Amino acid sequence: MTAAGFRRGLVAALPFLLSNGAAGLVMGLTYKGLGLGAPQAILFSLLVYSATAQAITLSMWASPLPVAAMVVACIATNSRYLLMGAHLRQLFGGLAPRKILLSLFLLADASWLMTSSDADRNGPDAGYLLGSSIPMAIGWVGGTALAYAAPLATNGPLRLAAALLPTMFIATLLPSQWKNATSPWPWLTSAVVAFLVSRFVDPSWSMLIGGGCGTLVSMMERTDA
Amino acid sequence: MRDLMKNLDVLGVIFILGLTCYAMRAGGYVLAASMRDDGIAARFLRLAPGNLFIAFIVSGCLSGGLAGLVGTLVALVTMAVTAREWAALGAGFGAALATSTIGL
Repeated sequence: MTAAGFRRGLVAALPFLLSNGAAGLVMGLTYKGLGLGAPQAILFSLLVYSATAQAITLSMWASPLPVAAMVVACIATNSRYLLMGAHLRQLFGGLAPRKILLSLFLLADASWLMTSSDADRNGPDAGYLLGSSIPMAIGWVGGTALAYAAPLATNGPLRLAAALLPTMFIATLLPSQWKNATSPWPWLTSAVVAFLVSRFVDPSWSMLIGGGCGTLVSMMERTDA
Repeated sequence: MRDLMKNLDVLGVIFILGLTCYAMRAGGYVLAASMRDDGIAARFLRLAPGNLFIAFIVSGCLSGGLAGLVGTLVALVTMAVTAREWAALGAGFGAALATSTIGL
């Protein structure tokens, strides 16, 4: 875990202040509509810190609160973090779990993807994970808080474009990933399966299933793709 | 009194959900300690990121509609040409905004 890696991750993730801020703002406005106070909404975004889990549990909001069902929904939507955490252990195998607990608290799809890509280019560095996680968390929690501070509308092309920034950011990682590929078949499999499965399940599951199928094809090839 | 109980209920749910999400995040890291480096699971996890990148992008493009597809393609091409993330994100953001504004 190096200071240089931390700085590199922090700078690389700065665009997420905008994209996560916009998404957090939308989440905050939804909480506001439900009648939650600002401290509760901010605590929700800070502790749960998962757009999918928060969106799902919001859709289940009722009186009395269905706690058990909400927990099951959280586990189902966030099971991909098990895979991400296990992959990080592969990268940072020599690092004691207690040294990475804070970084894992802030682990998000984008910070994991960025850390994986950075590890290919510069070698594994847990500092990068922590550095890249901070702007994302500030954007998400700050956006939620902003919803309570300003009377803002949630519609419009600007919000849509801002919400697409994470996808675009991951797209910018593809050229460096392509250098490690030995054939296009695993990626094609991932894309086609994710596309087909997305008709039946939510995006987090289609990502996991599509990526899992593509990885199986990779494993059947002679060398790592 | 009823408001106080309701607030405590909400706070309790927030803490339980937060703990659940953190357990998912930390669980993979802790459980992977028992995994062999040359095992099938380890190989699977090494190969997973690139494939998940693609599936993530497909899911994002689908939820973002045509604006998502155009923005992502423009970002990808700009990155391939310039190798600069800021240029790619700026171009992709502008393309998605323009596509969404003109109602495509």
